[in-house]
Amino acid sequence: MLRPTTTVMTLEPRLWSDAEGVHIDVRGLAPPQPLVAILRLLHEQRDGGAAVIVHHDRDPLLLYAELAEVGWAAERIAAEPGGVRLKLSRTG
Amino acid sequence: MAVPGAFLLGATSRLLPASIPLRFFGAATVYHLLAWLALLAGAGRMTRFVAAPGWPLAALHLVTLGVLVMTAIGASLQLLPIATRQPVRSAFWPRVIWWLYTPGVAAVGLGMGLVLPELLALGAVAVLLALLAFAVLLALNLRGARGMPDVVAHGWAALASLFVVLSSALALALGWLGVPTIARQAVLALHLAFAAYGFMGLLALGLSCILVPMFALAAAPDRRRAIASCSLAAVALVLAALAALGIAPQPLRIVAIVLGAGAVALHLRLMRVALRSGMRRELGRSFVLVYLGWAMLAASLVLALALVLDAPLPGLGTLFGLALIAGWLLSFLLGILQRILPFLAAMHAARGSLQPPTPSSLSAERPLAIHFFCHLAALAGLALAIVADSSELVMLAAGVGATGAAAFGIFFAVLVRRMNTAPAA
Repeated sequence: MLRPTTTVMTLEPRLWSDAEGVHIDVRGLAPPQPLVAILRLLHEQRDGGAAVIVHHDRDPLLLYAELAEVGWAAERIAAEPGGVRLKLSRTG
Repeated sequence: MAVPGAFLLGATSRLLPASIPLRFFGAATVYHLLAWLALLAGAGRMTRFVAAPGWPLAALHLVTLGVLVMTAIGASLQLLPIATRQPVRSAFWPRVIWWLYTPGVAAVGLGMGLVLPELLALGAVAVLLALLAFAVLLALNLRGARGMPDVVAHGWAALASLFVVLSSALALALGWLGVPTIARQAVLALHLAFAAYGFMGLLALGLSCILVPMFALAAAPDRRRAIASCSLAAVALVLAALAALGIAPQPLRIVAIVLGAGAVALHLRLMRVALRSGMRRELGRSFVLVYLGWAMLAASLVLALALVLDAPLPGLGTLFGLALIAGWLLSFLLGILQRILPFLAAMHAARGSLQPPTPSSLSAERPLAIHFFCHLAALAGLALAIVADSSELVMLAAGVGATGAAAFGIFFAVLVRRMNTAPAA
């Protein structure tokens, strides 16, 4: 069971929305902040249907199993060189 | 536009082949059972433990080398490259380390248990070479780390401790073979402090700075405070070393314990903040073992102080060893391991896709529940046995511990089978 948190991180992710969905940029954050920020956003998205686009600077190896546990899945989409971009959507 | 799975090159380069970490964790699972069986064999001499050849000493080293260090090697080889954003340097050397280390630990255990100095010496050489190779890999990982200065600081301090542990182990083995070295009590004190609080303790505290926030889904701990905790622990170890070498033993040991307590208090405060602020509140039975481990770490310092002050309690030294090795390190590590393993298995079961099976679907809860209750009962039974000086109680506790270890082995076997048979996405 996840619950919202009021933790203040030393660096915050950048968030914005467009036609693709809700974007979250976690580049430059040290582990485990990217994982936590992404899962927190998914938790907040639970009543909405928008896809989440993750902008990352590395492949988030530990994220995929966490996504599976909370009913989301990742798809890799085109990114700028040296970056990783994922589209997250609900499963089932 | 979706990009095909070939793009995963960067992902897999930070992930060792599943067979490498799992062989370390699998061996640790087997040695866990063997350690309890060795204790069963040495039950008659356990309650007033002395560091002399025999099954109690074998049981101790099957736990420390076979379970604790084996798991630490597997975890640090797999987790550090992921956490510190580096490619895995070599899959060859971890395999070499395992093939040297695993039979080496068996030879050390049998050599101690059966009192066979030649076998012990052979095993000790294999363990020494394997740990030196591991030290090189760990140093390369730490040198190339990007970010996480607190984890890196703990890693360097643990590495420095490892060299003291290996040097003191060599001196003890040479002494046993009749070669004169420095005073045995001094070497023993160095070996104990730097193995349990230094190498294993600092690795455990350092990896906690990654793992506990990750499990709780919390922000990383305050880096400066984590480094302060590590520095306090390092100074405490240096003072303990000076005391072991005969420099103002009692006052320096007391100061070392106070500084160690400060390091532990600071670390536990950081962990408490992570656990309280994290998004995941329910961490299950595994974290009960982690909490028990932390409580026993604090208890070990209290017992160490009682030892330094010559408190007139029978079996105090053995109780201290129980709290430190089985209470703190073993409980903590088994709690963490049962959370890491399903995640690791899910990552590997994905076979390059981004849709792994859920970790919970790979885990078997019943064996873990059996292990949990057996572990708690065995620790309580051993504590009672030491206080009552009862070898019958030791036998009972070791039997319960062995049952728990077998259950943990079933959990591991089920996990690997489910990982291998999980349908690819």
